Amino acid sequence: MLKHLLAAALFVTPGLVQAGDITRIVDAHILPGYQSLASTTAELSDVAQDDCSPENEALRSAYHQAFDAWISVSHLRFGPSEEEQRGFALYFWPDVRGVTQKTLTTMIVDEDPFVHEADAFPTVSVAVRGFLALEFLLYDPSFQDVGTPEYRCALLRAIAADTALSSAHILEGWNESHAELMKEAGSNDTYRSEQEALRQAFTALTTGLEFTADARLGRPLGTFDRPRPKRAEARRSGRSLHHVILSLEATRALAAMISEDDAALDALFADAIERANSLDDPVFAGVADPQGRFRVEVLQQSVNEIRRAVATEVGPSLGVEAGFNSLDGD
Amino acid sequence: MPSRRQFIAGVLAAGVAPAPGWAEAGRPRYVSAARKPDQTYALIGLTNEAKIAFDLPLPARGHAAAAHPHRSEAVMFARRPGIYALVINCVSGVPIVQLDAPPGRHFYGHCAFSGDGTLLFTTENDFDRAVGIVGIWDATKGYTRIGEFHSGGVGPHDIRVMPDGVSLVVANGGIETHPETGRAKLNLPTMRPNLATLGLDGAPLALTELDETLHKNSIRHLATGLDGSVAFAMQWQGDAFEHPPLIGLRRPDSSVVLLEADLASQQRMQGYAGSIAMDDTGRVATTSPRGGLCQVFDTASGELTTSVALTDVCGVALSDTGFAVTTGQGFVSLDVGLTDQALSRFDLQWDNHLIDIRIPKA
Repeated sequence: MLKHLLAAALFVTPGLVQAGDITRIVDAHILPGYQSLASTTAELSDVAQDDCSPENEALRSAYHQAFDAWISVSHLRFGPSEEEQRGFALYFWPDVRGVTQKTLTTMIVDEDPFVHEADAFPTVSVAVRGFLALEFLLYDPSFQDVGTPEYRCALLRAIAADTALSSAHILEGWNESHAELMKEAGSNDTYRSEQEALRQAFTALTTGLEFTADARLGRPLGTFDRPRPKRAEARRSGRSLHHVILSLEATRALAAMISEDDAALDALFADAIERANSLDDPVFAGVADPQGRFRVEVLQQSVNEIRRAVATEVGPSLGVEAGFNSLDGD
Repeated sequence: MPSRRQFIAGVLAAGVAPAPGWAEAGRPRYVSAARKPDQTYALIGLTNEAKIAFDLPLPARGHAAAAHPHRSEAVMFARRPGIYALVINCVSGVPIVQLDAPPGRHFYGHCAFSGDGTLLFTTENDFDRAVGIVGIWDATKGYTRIGEFHSGGVGPHDIRVMPDGVSLVVANGGIETHPETGRAKLNLPTMRPNLATLGLDGAPLALTELDETLHKNSIRHLATGLDGSVAFAMQWQGDAFEHPPLIGLRRPDSSVVLLEADLASQQRMQGYAGSIAMDDTGRVATTSPRGGLCQVFDTASGELTTSVALTDVCGVALSDTGFAVTTGQGFVSLDVGLTDQALSRFDLQWDNHLIDIRIPKA
């Protein structure tokens, strides 16, 4: 019955059709995601203060939970996460030139005093902050011999505390202003209409999917002649494939809210997630052999199928069209 | 009784009157191509007050590339493969002449008039030899081709006459293409862009290359300063997840300063700067249509001083109070630094470049 009413409404007021409910997106997707990030990173920092040993299972477990929370909001790169480079401070990847490893090593060898100054820590390079700097300290065997255990411990605690602080600031930004700006789009300059707020969410959806296809899957795939398994995301902690799944689940939830529960679109997500779940190649090591590579490519294609559907089915309903200049190139 | 406009058009067609100046075309400050809502294309003159001075139909999408310093004539390049250009009389709307790329050549879409308006220089690809060429056309004799010389590199894109009036600067983008392989970039692993300064006769005067690590940063668009500085905008052809600087300044002493914004802005620009302009105080404005950003840098300090979000922004040029920008959504701002400045909106999609008719001279 509701469907018929909607169809009738669509028929009589085609100019006013607007998919998506921005309040639902903010309250049921964005805020819970950042709340989870803030609480899990606070827990991670607490556990690190108790026992900073990389072998500490409680620490590793807290790390995984916090990292999960980040990947589940990592497509929401606008507003508070982009202020003061917080998003980059939490997550600097892909690190094309290997800056994290180099800078982190130098810091440890030189016993850089930044670790003892909580206020100064946010001024260090984003490459030595956040989840991937922690990953080196927790999971890379070569880091167990660099510098002194005391310094490495102090550094790990400083990065964990900084990660919690950045996450708390992002949540604060959402709670104190950005959630209202989005929900009251049309009455402020950040979002001059509800459509602009929806377009922001749409952009988060498309860039999140693009990142999964081109970076999370594309970088380890490399080319057929030159696969790059060592480029897999967070491979040291064994999380590469897990990130693809987490990100697909998060963008699936957002896509449902933007598309008013488009069943066909949701089925494409279900298909991609099922493929990822059955891949059994946690860090995409298989890209180096033809069979393993083929399966990762098929997964990438299924993500690209979602992207096509989003661009051709969802985009037009939000009035999103490709840019006149941005697509032209000169 | 014919209107003045029709009269002039008639006389021009007969080829007897002296060419009209910009005053007769409604005193535009800028020229830009645009797409109209009915999907046709137009060449638009914009005044200093962001009013439309003229609105002339174009046969297809093209890029406005240069405006004659005195005569109301604008050069438009057809888009890919770029084998012809039109010189359009901006009073009558009539194409005065079509410039055809010589056999074995295509245009790259940019050109520059000499300060006195007698010569036009076009960037071209000698595609079988993969050599960049600058073509010379005599604007006093119906734009006949009178010569050419090597551009100093591969894939020459933008070209400017320096304010001294006796030299040219060419952005050799470094990318080799061939019509048989379309837009495929044939030499990315070995590309080597440069900024070449040449005499008006093609004599090489100076060549600037960036550090080897930036050899995939294609130098594309240019702006010149009265002191001889050259600002350049680049397009990154390397790893899409690297975010190198996209703006540079070559000072008169040949030193180079690279300018970059915060990491988030750099990432947002997707390795692509669209247009560039520079004022006499050393401020450089650049646009990124992919990132929807217009940025202003102070080249003395290297600091990003202004960053304004504007969807599909691309054209940028000097204005009386700062920098004027245009967007693919129809907006025009005459001072992008002033955020409270009301944007003018037109039912037009402004194309890539906003051409400033006023040519500064040293």
